[in-house]
Amino acid sequence: MLENPWLSIGKPEQRIDAVEKAAGTVRYTADYSVPGLLHAKLATSTQAHAKIKAIDVSEAWKVPGVRAIVTGKMFPYHIGPILADRPPLAFEKVRYYGEPLAIVVADQEYMAKQAAQLIHVKYEPLPVVNSAREAFQTDAPLIHENSGKYMKIISNVYPVQGTNIGSHIKIRKGDFITAWENCDIKIKQTFSFNLSDHAALEPRCTRVEINPAGKVVVHSTTQSPFTIKKVLNQFFNIDVGNIIVHVPLIGGAFGGKGTVQLEPLAYLASKAVGGRMVKLEFTREEDLITAPGHIGLEATIALGANKAGKLMAGQYTYLIDSGAYTDQAAGITRAMALDCTGPYDIPNVWCDSYCMYTNHPYATSFRGYAHPELTFAVERTMDKLAHKLKLDPVELRKINAIKPGNSSPTSAVLNANNLGDVEKCIDQAKKLIDWDQGERLETADGKVKAKGISTFWKTSTTATNAQSGAVLKFEADGSVNLNCAAIELGQGSKTILAQMVAERLKMDIKKVHVTMEVNTQSDPHQWRTVASSTTFLAGRAVMNACDDAISQLKRTASIALQCSMEDLEVGGGRVYLKPSPEYGVKIQDIALGYKYPNGHAVEGQVVGHGRYIQRHLTPMDKDTGFGKPGPWWSVGTQAVEVEWDPADCSYKILKAVTVLDGGKIINPMTATQQMRGGMYLGLSFASQEGFIFDQNGTVLNPQLRTYQMVRFGEQPAEYIVDFIETPAADGPFGARGIGEYGVIGMAGALANALSTAAQVELNHLPLLPELIWKTRKESQA
Amino acid sequence: MIPFDFEYYRPESVTEAVKTYEILATQDKKVLFYSGGTEFITFSRLNQLDAEAIIDLKGIPDCHQLELQGEHLVIGAAVSLNKITESQLFPLLGQTVRKVADHTSRNKITIGGNILSRFIYREGVLPLLLTEAKVKLAGSSGERVVPLKVVFDKQMNISPEQFLIHIQVPKAFLNLPFVSIKKTRMSKVGYPIVSIAALVKDKKIRAALSGVCEYPFRSPDIEAALNDTSLSKEEKIDKALGQLPEAIIDDLQASRDYREFLLKNTLLETIEALEATQT
Repeated sequence: MLENPWLSIGKPEQRIDAVEKAAGTVRYTADYSVPGLLHAKLATSTQAHAKIKAIDVSEAWKVPGVRAIVTGKMFPYHIGPILADRPPLAFEKVRYYGEPLAIVVADQEYMAKQAAQLIHVKYEPLPVVNSAREAFQTDAPLIHENSGKYMKIISNVYPVQGTNIGSHIKIRKGDFITAWENCDIKIKQTFSFNLSDHAALEPRCTRVEINPAGKVVVHSTTQSPFTIKKVLNQFFNIDVGNIIVHVPLIGGAFGGKGTVQLEPLAYLASKAVGGRMVKLEFTREEDLITAPGHIGLEATIALGANKAGKLMAGQYTYLIDSGAYTDQAAGITRAMALDCTGPYDIPNVWCDSYCMYTNHPYATSFRGYAHPELTFAVERTMDKLAHKLKLDPVELRKINAIKPGNSSPTSAVLNANNLGDVEKCIDQAKKLIDWDQGERLETADGKVKAKGISTFWKTSTTATNAQSGAVLKFEADGSVNLNCAAIELGQGSKTILAQMVAERLKMDIKKVHVTMEVNTQSDPHQWRTVASSTTFLAGRAVMNACDDAISQLKRTASIALQCSMEDLEVGGGRVYLKPSPEYGVKIQDIALGYKYPNGHAVEGQVVGHGRYIQRHLTPMDKDTGFGKPGPWWSVGTQAVEVEWDPADCSYKILKAVTVLDGGKIINPMTATQQMRGGMYLGLSFASQEGFIFDQNGTVLNPQLRTYQMVRFGEQPAEYIVDFIETPAADGPFGARGIGEYGVIGMAGALANALSTAAQVELNHLPLLPELIWKTRKESQA
Repeated sequence: MIPFDFEYYRPESVTEAVKTYEILATQDKKVLFYSGGTEFITFSRLNQLDAEAIIDLKGIPDCHQLELQGEHLVIGAAVSLNKITESQLFPLLGQTVRKVADHTSRNKITIGGNILSRFIYREGVLPLLLTEAKVKLAGSSGERVVPLKVVFDKQMNISPEQFLIHIQVPKAFLNLPFVSIKKTRMSKVGYPIVSIAALVKDKKIRAALSGVCEYPFRSPDIEAALNDTSLSKEEKIDKALGQLPEAIIDDLQASRDYREFLLKNTLLETIEALEATQT
C-alpha cells in the first residue's frame, strides 16, 4: 500500500470560507435586495401579560406606501417545534414583552416602521408571572389556560393542564429513596440565573415569496431549512415539495437560529400582498427579545456520598424558565434530565425537570442545549461536596468519573466507543491549569489568584431518525463538488467535510469544492445543523458518498484499463492498478464518462451519493426516563484561573483551559478555535449576560448598550486547548461531535474559581463583582 | 434605520451655521445641532429623538481646532475623543474620554457631543470642571466666551439656537498630577458606576464625579473634605460622602449600596494615588 500524500484528516487545513470572510465579501441574507421587494416590520407588545382588547390599525394605514397589515386574528392558530403552543402573531392575549402583534408590509422599510409605531393596542393587564419559581406555585396566574389541548409535535412533551408546567420529564434510576437514607454525607444547593440571549453578530432575517405557480420560496438565516419546510407544511398546509428554502452563510447562530419564527411571519406577510417577496429583518432589539433567547433556570441539587467520596444518590430538580412558550425549551427540559448527573457514575438518580411557562421572552436552544446550565449547578455542588468531604475537588471528580460499563441516568449502556475518557480529561486539565501550584494564592499586591475546575459531558439528543445526505459531483478537470445541507454558521463544518472528501478520495483538498449555500431543492435532506451533530451525521453521509463515487470511478476505470474493479485504487487524482500504480487513468479522463479512441463513450458522469441515519435511538419512558437518547457522549474538563481584587470585588480571567475528548479531531486548528469561541461564549454568559426584568416583566435591557457582554480584549489572557482522542468506532474517522462543548463547563469553572477566591458560595449568574460583594456582605452579616 | 425624514445641513462657518438655524427656525422646524452624530442615530432609530432638520457642525474649521493658542489649549467641539487622547495635549482629559464607549465609537464621538450628551454621564466635562475652562459659544447674538461653570450646572445650559464652538483650557492646568478612574459593572465598555477625574493644584485636590448622581458635578464641599488635613483618609471619605449634592443613584449598572461602596473605594484610590505624586 502506498503512503497517502493527500492526508487531510488531523491536519490544520485553512477554513475554506476564510478568504471571503476576511475580505468582507460574503453576502448574508439581509444583504440581498431585488426589484419589487417589500419590507415588513413588526408591532410588538409593550405588556408582558395582558388581554388584547383591541388593535387599531387605522392610523397605520394612513402612512404612504403601506400595502398590508396582518394581525393575529388572520392566523389564530398555534405552532411550535415540540408543543404547538405559540401563535406566530398574538391573538386574544400577549404573553411576553416584545411579542409580535402585527406585521406591516410597505414599499420601504421606513414606511413599515413608521406605520408599525402607529398601531395602537388596547390591553387589559393580567398578573405577571416573573420567574420559574413563581410559575411553579399552585396559585400562580395561568399563562396558557388550555395547555393540555395543544398539539404535540414530537413525543416526550407533557404539559400539565391547569398549571404553568409546559413539560415535566422524570428520571427514576435505581432506588434513590433507600440509597439517600444510607449516605454518609449529604448536601443540597440551589442555583439560578435569568434568561439571556445568543446575541449572534448577524441579526435574524428572512425573505419569503409565494410565486404564481404556488411555490413558496424562502431565504433565511436558519440552522434548520428542512424544519422550515416542515413547519410551513404542518401549519400552513403547503405541500412540502412546493417549499424551497435557500440559506447563505450565517453570521453566528449558537442555537438561536435553530427554531422557526420569522419565516411564518414573512409567509403571512407575503400572502397578504399577493405573494410578493417580503423581507423581514430584525433589529438588534427585536433579535434580543422578540426572537427567542436562552433559558433561565432554578436548579436544586442534592448529592449523597459515602465517606470515601463515592456518590451514591443524586436528586435534581430543574425549573426551566422557558418564557411564554415552550419552543425548544421543552427539548432542553428533556436534555437536562437525561444528562442530569454530569459525567459521574451515580447508581441512584431522581430527577424532575420542568419546563415552566413565565411571562418572559421565550427561550429556544442555546449552544450546549441544557448542558452549560446543568453543569453550572452540578459542578458547583461537586465543589461544595468536596469541601464537606475535605477532599480535593479534582480528586472527588476522579473518584466518580463515569466509565465504560456504567450507565447514563436513562440507563443507556456506556462503552469505550460511545463515551470519551473522563479521567484523562481531568488529569490533563489539572496539569494545564497547574492545579498543584495551589487553588488559591494571595499575591503581593493584595489580590487573589484562584482556580476552578468543571467536568462535563453531553450527548446529542437528535430526533431518533435524524439524518444527513451528501452528493459528490465531478467536474471535467477531475475536481469534485460537495453538496450537503449542513449549514455553515462559522463552526467550520464545510471545511471538515471537505477534509473528509479529500482524505477518502486521496485527493488534494484544493480540488474539493464545497457549495457553501444550501438549497433544499437540490441538496439532500439534512435534519438540522444543531446538536454538535454535523461532523458525525453529515460526515458519515459524505464518507458514504465518497465510497459510492469511488466505486463508480473504479467501474469506469476498469473499462478504460481493461481490468477488474477489485484491482483498482483511487488516489492522487487517478485510478490506478494496485500492483502497478504507474498504470492508471486520470480522474479527469473518466469523471464525465470514458471515451474510447474511436469516439464511443461509456458510463457517463460520476455522481456519488451518500446518506446516514441515526441508529437505535429511542424516546424516553414517561415514568422512568429509560431510553437511548443519543449516539455518543463527548466529555471534557475545563478550568479557569481568575485574579480577584478583594478591594472592589472586580476580577480578571487570566486563563481558561479546555481538555476535550471528542474522538478523532479532524482539524486541530478549527477544533481549537471552536473551543476558544465556546469558552468565550460561556464566560460571557457566566460573568455578565442576562436580561433584567422589572416587576411587570418588562425587559429593562433590551439593547446592547445595557445587555452587556465580554468585549474584544476582555477575553482571558490565555486560552489553552487540548484534546484527548479516544476514537469512536462508528464516527467518521473516529470523530464524535465537538461543536458545543467549549461552552459547557465555563460557568461552573468560573463560579468555582470565584467562590474559592472570595471564600463565599456563588450560586447565581451572572457573576458580577456586585454579586460577589453582596454575597460576601451577607455571609459576614 | 431612522424612520423619519429630516433635512441635513452642513455649514462651513460659524456664521453660516447660525444663519441656517435662524432660517429653519422661522419655518417652525425642530432643529438640532450635532457633531459626531452617534446619539442622533442611536436615539432616532429607537424613536427617542426626532428632528425636522439637523445641522452638522463638522464642516466648520473652528470646531476642529486642537492646539495651544497663547495661554490656552483650544479644543474644538467637533474634535473626536480619540484625537484628544492621541494628541496627549491634556493627559487628564485624554485618559478620561478614553474610557467612554469603545474605540470605534470614539472615532465618531466628539467632545462637544459628549459634554452635551443626553446621557447622565458626560464624562468629558469632568476634567474641564477642574481646570477653570472656558467655552466659546455661538448664537444669534454672536460669539461669546464664558467660563464653563457659568453655563454648566449638571448639564450645559444653553439655548437650542446656541452651539459650542470650542473649549479653552488654561495651559497651567494641562500637566498637573492627576487621576482618572472609572468603575463599571463588569466590562470596561460600559457606563460608569463611579467615574472620577482629579488633580492636584496648589497642593489641593480637585475632583469631579460622574455616575454617582444624576449628573456630573464638582463639589467644593467634597473637595474641602478631601483636603481637610486634620482628618484621616477614611474620615475624609466619610465626610465627603456626606457632601454629595443628592442621593446616590440606583440603576441597572449598580445598586445604591454597591455604588456607595465603590465610591468610597474610588475616593481612597484617588487620594492615595494623588498623595503618591506629591512625595
